[in-house]
Amino acid sequence: MFMNTGFFEPGKTKTERKFIQQAVKQSQRLDGRKSGESRDVQLTFGGEYGSVVVSLGDTKVMAQVTCDMGTPTTSRPNEGKLQLYVTLAGVSYLDSVQKTHDKRSLTLNSLLERTFRTSRCVDLESLCVASELHVWCIRVDVNVLNHDGNLYDASTVAVLAALMHFRRPDVTFTDGELRTYTEKERDMIPLLFLHYPVSVTYCIYTSNFQPFVDPTLLEENTADSTIILSFNSYQELCTLNAGGTVPTDVRTIMQCARSAANRCKAMVTFIRKALDQDEQQCLEGSKRNTGMLGLMEKSSQKLSFKTLMKGDQKQQQHKTEDMDLEVEAKPNPKLEADEEENADNVENVESDQPAQEEELPMDDSGWLPQEPEPTIDPTKQSPGKPKRKRNKGNKKKQ
Amino acid sequence: MNLPDKSEQVAKDKLREMQCKFNPLSRCDGSVMYCQGATVVISAVLGPVEVKTQNLSIDGSYLECNYRPKAGLPQVKERIREAAVRDVLELALLSEAYPRSKMSLQIQELEDRGSIDACALNSACLAMLIGGLPLKCSFAAVHCIINEQGEYILDPDQRETEHERASFTFAFDSLEGNLLLVQTKGSFKIAEFNDVESLCRSASAEILQFYRTSISNYHCRRSDTKTSEEQMET
Repeated sequence: MFMNTGFFEPGKTKTERKFIQQAVKQSQRLDGRKSGESRDVQLTFGGEYGSVVVSLGDTKVMAQVTCDMGTPTTSRPNEGKLQLYVTLAGVSYLDSVQKTHDKRSLTLNSLLERTFRTSRCVDLESLCVASELHVWCIRVDVNVLNHDGNLYDASTVAVLAALMHFRRPDVTFTDGELRTYTEKERDMIPLLFLHYPVSVTYCIYTSNFQPFVDPTLLEENTADSTIILSFNSYQELCTLNAGGTVPTDVRTIMQCARSAANRCKAMVTFIRKALDQDEQQCLEGSKRNTGMLGLMEKSSQKLSFKTLMKGDQKQQQHKTEDMDLEVEAKPNPKLEADEEENADNVENVESDQPAQEEELPMDDSGWLPQEPEPTIDPTKQSPGKPKRKRNKGNKKKQ
Repeated sequence: MNLPDKSEQVAKDKLREMQCKFNPLSRCDGSVMYCQGATVVISAVLGPVEVKTQNLSIDGSYLECNYRPKAGLPQVKERIREAAVRDVLELALLSEAYPRSKMSLQIQELEDRGSIDACALNSACLAMLIGGLPLKCSFAAVHCIINEQGEYILDPDQRETEHERASFTFAFDSLEGNLLLVQTKGSFKIAEFNDVESLCRSASAEILQFYRTSISNYHCRRSDTKTSEEQMET
């Protein structure tokens, strides 16, 4: 055991950078994934409400939601509070390499705040018990257990799953008296959501302008640019965080956004399915005892993205110059060569051959659902496209 | 809080079922996910690594010990647990082996369903064993309560902990069964204390045996997979 081995993160050395740049040039990844392929996501719900552990490959993140009665802020007297805390300190040993207020911790905190608080995903007005006097303060603690790349996605999935899993006690406020009911007296109430956001991360390298989704730690540290997109289940953009040193074509970002929108929608469906299964197991009575024991291998079947989304009929396609297809349904290998869309698919509308990709118009019409053909209309602006936050507003027309 | 209904009845003088999974975390020297009954704890060790000048000691390594709760910032009761773990570890760790360095131990609570102190200590010991840190001896911790009827309940569930009159946490070492840690709460007679201590001492033997079997399983399984891989290649 050497003195500083724990502080070494893969991807900080020149040799590793060179290696990854060359591998990326040939569209190769160390773990054999394609550039558009993500790692499997596994959810394990705990015994308490609002407790979940997310495994994205080796990256493990735990989220816990707690609630407390508090007083509202004076500027918003009839809204509850939602607070998010991410701790990198602890088992993951991420704080020993960094000084306090380091980039990674700040970016993670800021991203989660933007995705969940600023985008108003939880209906805070429903958390109000008595205006100006009593509101629910919801607190989400995210503990990073292991960092193997893509902390952002893992954290957003964890926070969303924990918030959806959470139940708060019922409470009445009559004649100035506040009464909280225990679980035995009255059922616990879930939180109300306005929308369900999840994020997807892409890495871009100088040697190849094609983005790689869901990077491992080695890929993330050697990346030149990172794009983090956060969509909700209605395919509305909630957060966009793009930065780095690679000059990137806006087209690339739009393509990333398209595939990210599909992926996010599938992810929210997966979380819902996993929650339903957890609910069923709880009603059967067998689950509540196991709780976090699900993390042990011997326990019951894990709730993983691949197994739950296997039978899903929706097949998402996305073609760029070299980007491989993102396959949602597992048992369908011929999708690689299939360039026609599924009749069910209404979100994505690509029917061009890959060779003609340069002619794909830069306008927004590709976004709109139920549009059969992308019309080449540079002046057209889609009116009904809600944008929560956009850092890059300019669109280049061809 | 959502407390589970007790579906399996564990005898009052038996420990709950223990399970552990080694090295679930890839970025530290040694880690273990340990559970007793439904209480799950994850521990990680890192060491020997570089230490700050203020903690540098030429006699031995500096031990850093942190316990993190599942929700909220660490409060006073977490610090009490950290102090308990540190006390035991300082007795068990062979700090003279690596002077001017730091051994770091982090414990993260994943689910608390009773006797979390004992679980934290046991997982710390396992993490150090699997991480290869130098120890003088290994140790096992047991938690026992005296409930309102005067019965001794070993390794209680959270439900049983609600009706406690007195609570004890003991830690024993593996070489001679010496007592390393005693933490008590509540009112009890000295005779009861002695009874509980001997009860816990015999239970600790079971825990130490569990350590042995799980570590040997872990290593045997790895050599098994290696041989099977070789067979597949040829």
